[in-house]
This record gives sequence, structure tokens and C-alpha cells, in this order.
Amino acid sequence: MDGEHDLVDFAVDYARQKGAAYAEARFERQEPEEFILKNGTLDALYVGADRGIGVRVLAKGGLGFAATNTMTKAEVRTIVDDAVRMAKGAKRETPITFAEEEAVTTEWTVPEQTKLADVTVEDKIAAFREIDRAVKELGFKIPSRYFQLSCNRITKYFANSEGSRIRSYSPRLRTSFFLTVVQGADAEQSHRDYGWSGGWEALRELNVTQRVTDEARSMQRSLLEGKKSPEGKMDLVVGPQVSGIAAHESCGHPTEADRVLGREASQAGKSFIGPDGIGMKVGSEVVNVCDDPTVEHAIAYYATDDEGVRARRRYLYKEGKVNEFLQNRETASAFGTRSNGASRAVNYNVEAIVRMANTFVEPKDHTIEEMIEGVHFGVYMKSFMEWNIDDKRFNAKYAGREAYLIENGEVKHPVRRTVVELTTPTFWSAVDAVGKDLEFEAGFCGKSDPSQALDASLGGPTMRLRNVYLR
Amino acid sequence: MEDIAAQIVDKAQKLGCQDAVADYVQNRSFQIRFARNEPVISNRWRESYASVFLVHDKRVVATDLKDLTDIDGALERLVKIAKASQRNPEYAGLAKGSFRYAPFRPDPKVLALQGGADFVEAAVNGALAEGAKECAGSFWRYEDEHVLATSNGVEGHDHRAGLYLSIRALVSLESSGHGIACASRLSRFDPEKAGRKAGRVAALAKDPKLGQAGRYTVVFDPLIFGTLTDQVARRLSAYSVVSGFSPFGKKVGKRVASPEVTMWDDGSEESLARKKFDMEGVPTKRHALIQRGILKTYLHNTSTAKRFKTKTTGNAGLIAPDAHAVFVKPGDWSKDEIFSEVKDGLWLTNTWYTRYQSYVKGDLSTIPRDGIFHIRKGEVVETWKDLRLTDNLVRLMKNVVALSDATEQMMWWGEVSLPNFVPYALIKDVNLTRSAE
Repeated sequence: MDGEHDLVDFAVDYARQKGAAYAEARFERQEPEEFILKNGTLDALYVGADRGIGVRVLAKGGLGFAATNTMTKAEVRTIVDDAVRMAKGAKRETPITFAEEEAVTTEWTVPEQTKLADVTVEDKIAAFREIDRAVKELGFKIPSRYFQLSCNRITKYFANSEGSRIRSYSPRLRTSFFLTVVQGADAEQSHRDYGWSGGWEALRELNVTQRVTDEARSMQRSLLEGKKSPEGKMDLVVGPQVSGIAAHESCGHPTEADRVLGREASQAGKSFIGPDGIGMKVGSEVVNVCDDPTVEHAIAYYATDDEGVRARRRYLYKEGKVNEFLQNRETASAFGTRSNGASRAVNYNVEAIVRMANTFVEPKDHTIEEMIEGVHFGVYMKSFMEWNIDDKRFNAKYAGREAYLIENGEVKHPVRRTVVELTTPTFWSAVDAVGKDLEFEAGFCGKSDPSQALDASLGGPTMRLRNVYLR
Repeated sequence: MEDIAAQIVDKAQKLGCQDAVADYVQNRSFQIRFARNEPVISNRWRESYASVFLVHDKRVVATDLKDLTDIDGALERLVKIAKASQRNPEYAGLAKGSFRYAPFRPDPKVLALQGGADFVEAAVNGALAEGAKECAGSFWRYEDEHVLATSNGVEGHDHRAGLYLSIRALVSLESSGHGIACASRLSRFDPEKAGRKAGRVAALAKDPKLGQAGRYTVVFDPLIFGTLTDQVARRLSAYSVVSGFSPFGKKVGKRVASPEVTMWDDGSEESLARKKFDMEGVPTKRHALIQRGILKTYLHNTSTAKRFKTKTTGNAGLIAPDAHAVFVKPGDWSKDEIFSEVKDGLWLTNTWYTRYQSYVKGDLSTIPRDGIFHIRKGEVVETWKDLRLTDNLVRLMKNVVALSDATEQMMWWGEVSLPNFVPYALIKDVNLTRSAE
């Protein structure tokens, strides 16, 4: 690693010599292993060996970024020359500036009880097969069983021209499944995704086998006993998977400062929240939504971001009002504030931009039973399959996967394809109770060009919404 | 370029691999992203790597080698992993070479380009001239060079390059339009036209009203029709079919679209994805996917072809087959005739966030973005907003009434993942929903 660190330090120093007002360089090594088990067959095993250096500079008010995976001084010199030349050539009328930050020198690692590197390929495959075997033993008709296990070990060294020097190591495990359960001509499909920062203990901690078999059972029950979901205004109780996706899509994304400023307008879009939107009422007073990179073992855990800023919890919505935007140094400067450590890149070869990490509805003190007991007639939607939201993050849809009718405070038969199609303020304003059963699932968050699909956690507890229109 | 691909294949065979593929790639692309009418960052890549696929005793492993200083060591580790892995009984080998490839060289003027500020400026100025206030997007000069070698005698070289610009123009948050420019030749690259299209739609989309849910006859602009055809092509990968990600299972030879629809995949035709060969080295060529509404084939590599008792279509990727570039046969309607046909309907210009409730059934929704227009008697009478297209992929394709007589190359962030050459389309009985009050 010393040679690679030397190249990073050299890149920063050389960029300053070439006239960059600010320079940063990031070495990143990623060692992914991906297993795909399709209908019981190990379809493919992908073992990556990825590494390189990305350099970003600020010069004459413009930003330039260049990357290489050829780890020589001459090559690094070439990409620095490229980055500085491009930055100077931007000829912007309004110079880009960065908010001030203190220099950080630190080293952080995510602990692994059982190191991912110490688990053999045979053991990984065997554990994976065990999950598939448990699903098969249920005896349901499941023509498509698709499991993916991804392990990645990410090592970084970051340096900037202000004196920051940061080393980090982040092992991650992600497991996802996609099932198709059939009954006659009818079919239910489900996709779920769980993630962990840490070691091989993830498989035990995430309780994947139990989750997969529970999901298959609920799919079978939906097919056998499911009835049409009622239509009209009624109460809705949503499970952690639904509150998690809503937190990510309609709280996290619209509070990304780069989106608010229009930098993502052509790709992931803008935001219904304007630059002066802090304090805007979006939900009821019981709604607190956070984004927190420091949640232990969540898949998007980090201690410092990819601009070298220390991570901290951000309250995006507090008591139902917009409280804080996610900021990197560029957007923070435009807003006259400080970065809150939200800058991340998916790899060495792309710029770091404003990103969510682990986004969740802050739990409160209700039990699930209490929330359901308070419903005369409604739907308990535990999970979803189809979802989407418009590019200003105002109109969202979540279509139920596992859902049940609630009558007189009791959970009854399954209902199929409950459709929650509401605006962001309508959804969050209807929340009157928030549970204490916080759970996380993993997701890939898409943004930027070139597209950066980044690890994210989506979390929340069970919540109750009053008098919303369902189909 | 160095003969790294052949070295990798030789070494893999010496280590006991029965099959090996190596695609040595040099990426020299660059990009300018812009927002609020100005460049926000310029990016440039200098990357060299080898995508490698090895088979040892029917055990399949793949990798992208970024560290090319110790290839032997990396392959030894990879073969060790392969030996510890499990057999894939569905693996059926690689295509047997050698093959002859049609000669092709990218436009030297594209290769000689060192910047793109003028293109960005032309696109932005075009949009502003049409009434837009704010523009964002990206300009790309793609360039990558491939040397492919396989253990079945394939040796191929392919130099690929192209120009691309995507621009979104806004008059306000809810009044916007999108334009795309794609070209393999500098002389055919017209970013100003893309900017003008985006600006015109944005200006026309001023002061939108809340849209009315219902079933409508809809004019699909090429960009949003390209989203549908892109979905069709992706769901036609044999890999999608066997994994449960497709509504086209057991549909070969059956009607999956209206008789107006004929589409094919062709990696050999000029497009931003033009390539001489797939990852097994099979020469790319035209393959009919849908002929007058009837499904003709899935997209195959050698292994999926064997499973479906057919031949490879030359669509192998590193692991799964996928489309190269999609071409829709133009219809015989002019664009004006298509709009005139709409008595009371909609014109949708773009969409995003296409997601499925059931892949095997094709039930999906997607959210139109940018201009949504209410049309009466062929004329735009109102601008709408906040609608969602909630329907079924196969049903939409079966409801195509007419296609315009010219196609445009569309490719866009997220939704149109590969080049789709698409016309305007008229689709009847399209279901639009909206958020409840």
C-alpha cells in the first residue's frame, strides 16, 4: 500500500504545483465476490480485483476529475494534468467554491467477527445452498429461485491539499433474493435485499434463511387466500420495509442539496423542496426522518466521507418539518453552511457527490399490536414489490406484496396488490403513530452520470397512517 | 495494443481451464456535465483492464482484472477459486472460431476531439433560444478499444467511439423538456437540435395543471417509446426469461405486440453500441426479435441457446446474454398524421422509474416526466402534470396503433439503457393514474 499512498500524496502535491486551488486524490481497492445461485445451480462466481486512483481539482473556479488504474507516477501525472486542464477550461461565470473544513488525519476500520477473507469459497457456497434448500423444502411451486450473495472489501486512502490523510477499511456483505411462487396461472414475485458492514457473521445476524422462508410462505398464502384489496379512504399500517423505502425516496432524495440546486436535474431530477425550504411542513409532528452513516453494521456505514469530512447523523425531517439538507463541500458553500459529511463515490473512478447513507424513520414507542388495535377498518401492508416516485419526489407509489385486511383491530386475510399512490405531504401528514420495531433493508441508490449505484440502507419501524386513499 | 488477451487465454489453458475468454479494454472516454447552464465538472478516464471468463471442469468464474502487472498470479488465484466452486451443468461451452469480422474504423474526427465545450454551449443556447431558463445534462465522447481472445480460436480487435449529449431544459420545476443527440460521426452530431427540442417542449409545458387519470390514446415521443422497447429487449434476454424477470416466457412464435411492431437487435449496424463481436467472439448481426407482432427469438449466448435448442444470437455478455442495439421498423404514418389521429388523448415525452409488480406478467408502472400534453383533435390544448403510467408491457405493445415513418437513436440515463432506434408511436387505451387527494 505504501506505493499507492505515495502516489496519492504525489497527485495532491503535483496538482497544487500545476495551479489547482484545491486538490484531492483517492486510492480505492475493491475486492468483490459475487455468487449467483439460479434455480439451484451456481450460475456464476464473479471475483473482482479492482483498484485505481481518482483525482479531483478545483482550479480557476472549475472542477476537473480524472482517474486511472495504472499505478505509476507518470500515469498519475497525466491524470492530474488532465484534471487541472479541464478545470481551468470550464470558464464558469460563477466560480465553484468549497465550504471550509478542518483537516482530518485518521484511520478507521469496520470490525469483522469472522473476516470475509477467511471464509472459503466452499463455505460461502454451502451457506448459500442451505438457504436455497430451506426454500425448496417448503414444497411450494417456485419455478424461479434467484439468490445473490455479494461480499466486498473496500480499502481507501484519501488525501487533500488541506492536509487530510485518511485510511479506511470497510468489509460489506449483501444478500438478495428474487422468488416467483406459482399457483395455477397465478404468480407472486418478491425481491428483498439485506446488507451488513462487517464480516461473515452477517449471515447469522441478518437471519437470512428465516427471512426467505417466511417470505415464500407469505407468497403462498397470498396466492391461496388473498382477496382483492379494498378501495377507498381508510387507515393503513405499513411495515418497516415500506416506511424504509418512503424515508429514502420522499425524505432522503428531496433533501439532497445538489438536487435542490439543480445539479442532478437531467438525471435523478430536482426536488419539490426549494433552496429556502428549511422549515417547510411535510408531515405530522410524530415524523422524524434521519440519515446516519454511523449506524453500526449498516451497509452504508462510514466514519469519514469521500471528501474527508467526519460523518454524523442528519435529521432530514424533524417533527414533520424539513430540518436539514444533505451537503457536500460544494453545495454547502452555495448554501453558506458546512458540509455534513454526505459526499460519497461508488469507486475511485467517479467523483464524490451528495448521497444518502442509512436513511430511516426514527422509531418511537408504539407496539405493532397497539397500532393495529386502533384501526376499525384498513390494511396492514408489511411489504411492497413495485414502487416509484417522480423526479421532484412528490408523487410516490408503493404496491403491496404482503398485506392483510384489518377489521375491528384484528388482522384478517391477505389482500393483494394494495396500491398506495399518494403525494409526499399526504403520506407523511397522515402518520399518527410510529412503532419501536426499527429494521433495515439494503438498496442500491442510483444517481449521477456516469451512474453510481451505491450501497444504502432503508429503514424504519411500523407506522400507522390515518384516512388515506387506497386502491 | 498489447497482446494481453492472448496471454491471459494461454495462461488459463496452461492452468487447466477448458474454456477461457479475455477482453482487454482501453477506455479513453471523457465527459462534461453541466447544470444551471454552466459546466459543473469535466471527467476523463484512462483505464486499462481485462474482463476474463474462465471455465475449469464446468466451474465458471469471471473477473475484471484492473491490476495487469501480475496477470499470472491473478489467474492462478482465480483458477484456485474455480476449483473450489461448483459445476454449472447448464454451461455449454463457447462459440467455435475463428470468425471473420467486417472491417470498421471509428470516425477519426471523433477520436481527435479533445473537448466538448462548444457542443454543450450549442445545446444550452438552443434550449434557451426556445424559451428555457435552466439547462442541465452531459456531453460524452466515448472511446474504448477491445482486443478479444478465446480458447476457441477467436482473435478480434474493435475500436469503438461515439458522441452523445443529453439535455434537460426547464422553464420552471414543473415545466421541462428533454433532448438527446447521438452520433458515431462528428458530421452527424447535432447537439443544438437536441437543445432546441428540450427547450421547445419545456416552453410548451408552461403552467401545467393536475392531470386527469383515465384511459387514453397516447402519442409516445421517441424517448419514452424507447423506454418501452428497451424494456422489451432486456426482457428478451434468455437469462431474464429463465430467471423469472420476463413476461415473454414460452411466447416464441406467439403474438406479443401489434402487427405494426417489427423490431430487431443489431450490434453490427451503426449506433453508439456498434461492435464487431460479442463476448464469445461471435460476429454481431441483425436478429429479428419481433416480426409483425410475433416473437421470433430470445437473445442467446452459446449456453442459453443449447438450453432452448437453438443457436446463439451473438449476444453473449461476460455472464448473461443481452441486447446490443434495438431497431424498430418505422411505420408509414407521418408524425403529423399520428398527432392528427388523436381526438382526445395525451402526448408523453419522457418517463423514468419503470418498476414491475410482476415481471412474469409484465405489470408495471412508470412516471412520465417533462412535458405531458392533453391533445384534442390533434392539437395541444393543455399541459398536465403528476400522472403515472400504470399498465402492462405486453398489453402496451399489443395496443400500438401506428408508428411514424422515421426513427431516432435514443439512449438515456437509467431508462433507455442501450441505443434504441425508435419512431413516434400511437398507443391506444393506455392507463394513467395519479396520486389520491
